[in-house]
Amino acid sequence: MKIVLKSETVRIASTLAAFFMALPLGLKGLTGIFVWTSPFIMLNSIIILKSFVVLNLLGTAVLLVVIFKNRFFCRYMCPAGFCCDKISGISRTKVSIHKKMPAVGSWLALISLAAAFAGIPLLILLDPLAIFHGTFSILSGDLSFVTILSLSGFPLLLAVNYIFPDIWCSRICPLGGLQDLLTDIRRRTSRLIRRKPQESDPYSPARRFFLASGLGLISGFVLPKLISPSRSQYIRPPASVEPATFNTLCIRCGNCIKSCPTNIITNHTDYSDLTSWMTPEINFGDGYCLETCNLCSSVCPTGSITHFSPDAKKIIFMGSAVVNYKECLLAHNKECDRCMAACKYNAVKIVPASRLLLMTPEIDQKKCVGCGACAVICPTSAINMIPPLAV
Amino acid sequence: MKRRDFITRTAIAGGALTLGLSCKRKIESSEPVEKNSTAALPYSGGKTITEPERKIPVFAETDVLVIGGGPAGAAAAIAASRAGAETYLVERYNHLGGLWTGGLVLPLLSTHAVDKNNRRKQVIFGIGGEMSDRLKKLGMSIFEINPVIDPEAGKYVLDEMIMESGVKMIYHTWASNVIMDGKTIRGVILENKSGRMAILAKVVIDCTGDGDIFNLAGENYDMMNYHIGLVHRLGNIDHIKPGIITDPKPDLGGETPIRGVNWVNMHGDNDQNGTDIITLSKLQMKYRKEIWESVQKIKSTPGYEDVFLLDTASQLGVRMSRILDGEYRLTLEDSMTYKNFKDVIGISGAWTTMMYKGKAVKAENRPLWQIPYRSLLPKKTENLLAAGRCFCFEKELVEDTRIIGTCLVTGHGAGAAAALAVKENKRVRDIDTGRLKELLVSQGAWLG
Repeated sequence: MKIVLKSETVRIASTLAAFFMALPLGLKGLTGIFVWTSPFIMLNSIIILKSFVVLNLLGTAVLLVVIFKNRFFCRYMCPAGFCCDKISGISRTKVSIHKKMPAVGSWLALISLAAAFAGIPLLILLDPLAIFHGTFSILSGDLSFVTILSLSGFPLLLAVNYIFPDIWCSRICPLGGLQDLLTDIRRRTSRLIRRKPQESDPYSPARRFFLASGLGLISGFVLPKLISPSRSQYIRPPASVEPATFNTLCIRCGNCIKSCPTNIITNHTDYSDLTSWMTPEINFGDGYCLETCNLCSSVCPTGSITHFSPDAKKIIFMGSAVVNYKECLLAHNKECDRCMAACKYNAVKIVPASRLLLMTPEIDQKKCVGCGACAVICPTSAINMIPPLAV
Repeated sequence: MKRRDFITRTAIAGGALTLGLSCKRKIESSEPVEKNSTAALPYSGGKTITEPERKIPVFAETDVLVIGGGPAGAAAAIAASRAGAETYLVERYNHLGGLWTGGLVLPLLSTHAVDKNNRRKQVIFGIGGEMSDRLKKLGMSIFEINPVIDPEAGKYVLDEMIMESGVKMIYHTWASNVIMDGKTIRGVILENKSGRMAILAKVVIDCTGDGDIFNLAGENYDMMNYHIGLVHRLGNIDHIKPGIITDPKPDLGGETPIRGVNWVNMHGDNDQNGTDIITLSKLQMKYRKEIWESVQKIKSTPGYEDVFLLDTASQLGVRMSRILDGEYRLTLEDSMTYKNFKDVIGISGAWTTMMYKGKAVKAENRPLWQIPYRSLLPKKTENLLAAGRCFCFEKELVEDTRIIGTCLVTGHGAGAAAALAVKENKRVRDIDTGRLKELLVSQGAWLG
C-alpha cells in the first residue's frame, strides 16, 4: 500500500517539528537540530571553516535532493516558508509594487558564498531557518527589550509578507535562491553534456555568475578590513572560533543559549561593537560551564563553536579566574574553601598568604579553563572571570 | 494489738531492715575489684613490644557508653540518660563540648535553613537547641542565626545538663580499644590516671569525631584529609584606641559574647591527616608559634598595644578525618531535594554555598535536610552507633556534616536510639524507627 503524503501535511509536520526543537525544552543534542538542514548555512560554514562535522550530512542530504528537485526544501521542509505562505494567504492588502521586483535570492546566495571564500559569510543571517530559530531564543537566556527587539526577525518577516504577500520566498530568500541556482546549474550542465542547445535566457548566466561572485569576493576581502575586530573582549562559549570569524559566522539561532544546561549563555548586547551584536556570551549567574558538557558545541550549526568532546574540556580555555583577595573570606579568618571544592580542574589551591595565619586561594592559570565554578560559588563574589586576552 | 507491742515490732522491723540494707551495701562495696595487674612490659629486643596477657578490671557495666564528649557525645549521653538508660560518657579532656568549646570553634552553624514553603527558619531543636537556649538565657550567645557562644559558658552549661540528666561522667580518659564478642561490641578499654579499665555496655556510641571506635571495631571508612587549624582568642579588643587607621588593618577575628574578646579562626594547612600523631604534633607547635607572632605584630601596631593573646584552643581544629562506611550514605542530592527518610532522626541546616547540578546555591536559599538513622549505623558491628562528624555521608556534603549543629543533631539521634534499643532489648539495627521518632519528638527534636 502506498502512503500518499500531501505536501500540506508534510509542511505542517516539519513546521511543528522545527517549532518544538526551536523551543528551549531541554532537548539536549536535538535542540534546534532543524537549522542543520539548511544547505545555505552548511555551505557557508564549510567554506569558511574548511571542515565538516557529522551533522553537516543533514544539510548535504538536503543539498543533493534540491539539486534534482527544485525548491524541495521550500515545498516540504521550511517552517519559515510555510508561515510566510499562510500569512500571505490571509493578507488582504492589494500592494503589488513588489511583484515587479526581480528575484534576488540566487544573487544573494551567490554573493554570500563567494564572500565566504574570501573569509566572510556575508548574508548568512538572511537564512530563513536562522531567522526562525533566532526568534525563539528570546524564550531563554537573558530577557530584555533590546534582545526582544533584536531577535524579532521572524515576526518581522511575517509582517513584511502580510504587507507584501509572497515577497520573501520567491524573491529574497537566499536559501530559496540557492536552490534555484543549483537547479539552474544542473539543467545547464545536463544540457551541456547532452549537447542540447541552451534555452534562450533573458539573463546571461555567465554574466550573473561573474557579477555576483565578483561582488561577493570583493566584499569578502574588503569588509573584514572595514569592520574593526572587537576591541572589548568578552567570554564566549568554550571552543569558539576567533572573534572576527565568530561574529560573522554566527547566525544568532540561539541553539547554544537554549541547550546550555546551566543557562549561562546569553546574548551579547554591546552597542560599541555591532558585529558581535546578539552573539552568545557567557554570563555566569549562579551556574558555571559544566565539566561534562559539550552541548553548545554539538548544536552549533555553523561551527562557530567548534565541536569538541567532553574529555577535551580541560584544555579548552574560555577565560580565567581572578581573586580579589580583599573580598575573600580567608582574608578575614573566616571559614571557607568553596572555590577549591568547586574547581573540577584542581586549579585552585588554598595556600598560606603573605600575612601571618592567613590563607589565600591560589589559581593555577595553566589549569584554570575559566569555567566559572569558583566565581559563582564564592559567598562574597570575590572571584571574577575575565575573558582571554586578544591574540 | 497494744500500742506498745506495735511500737516495739515496728522498731524491730525497722532495725532489721536497716541492718539488712546496710549489710547489702557492705557486701556490694566489699566485692573484690580486680586490681590492675602490673603494667610494666618486658623488652625482648626488636622494633615491637609484645604485651603479655593481662587482666583488665571491669570498671562498670552499663546500658549505654558514649565515647567522646563533644557536641555529639554530650547530646547523645543526655538523650540516652533522659530516656531512662544508664549512661556513661567518656571524655579525654577536662570539659565537654569538644571543638565547640575547648576547640574555640564558637559558632553553632547551620541552625537555619529554608523549608518547603520557602521560608528560612530555625531547624535545630532537641537537646542541641536546649543547649543553645540555655546559653542564650545566660547571655552567653550572640546572633540569632548561627549563634556564637562563650566557650566557658558552654562547658558550664553542658556539665549542668549532664549532671541533671544523671549521666555518669568520666573525664580525663582515653578510649584505647574495643571489646568484641564476635561482631557485637561489648565494651571499650579505657586508659586514665587510674590505669587501664573496661566499661561494658549494651550499646556503644562513637562520638570521637575521628571514628576511633568504629576503626578499632574493624569498620570500613573513607579517610578525608582536610584543613587543620588552631583557633585562638584575643583580649582587650575594646581597649584599641579609636581613630587610628593602619594599612593593612590588623585582622581581629569575630566577636564573642564577652566584651573585648574576639575569636580568631584559622584555616590552616590543607590535606592534613588528623589521625597522624606526627602531623598533629608538628602543626600544634607551628600554629602556636604563628599565633604568637601574629599577636605580637598586632600589639606592635599603634593603638593596638593592649590587645593580648587570651588563649589558644585546647585542641587542634581537625575538620575531618574518618568517615564511616555505614548503612546509608547521605548525599548532597538528599540535602538539596528535601529528601524524606522514614527513619529521620533530625534535621540540619546550611551555612555556606553549595554547588548543585552546576548551580551555586547560597546558604540563605538552601533547603533544610533530613538525616536518616541508617547513616549512623555501621555495616558490620552490632550495637555500635556513630554520631558527630564521622557518620556516613558523601564528601561533597562535608561542609554541612562536620559542623556543630549537625553534630548535635546526630548525637541526639544516636543517644535516643541507644536508649530505645536497651529498653526494648533489641540490637540497635533492629529498633523500630517509628518509636525512635516518637521518643525524639518527646525529647523536643524537630523532624519536619
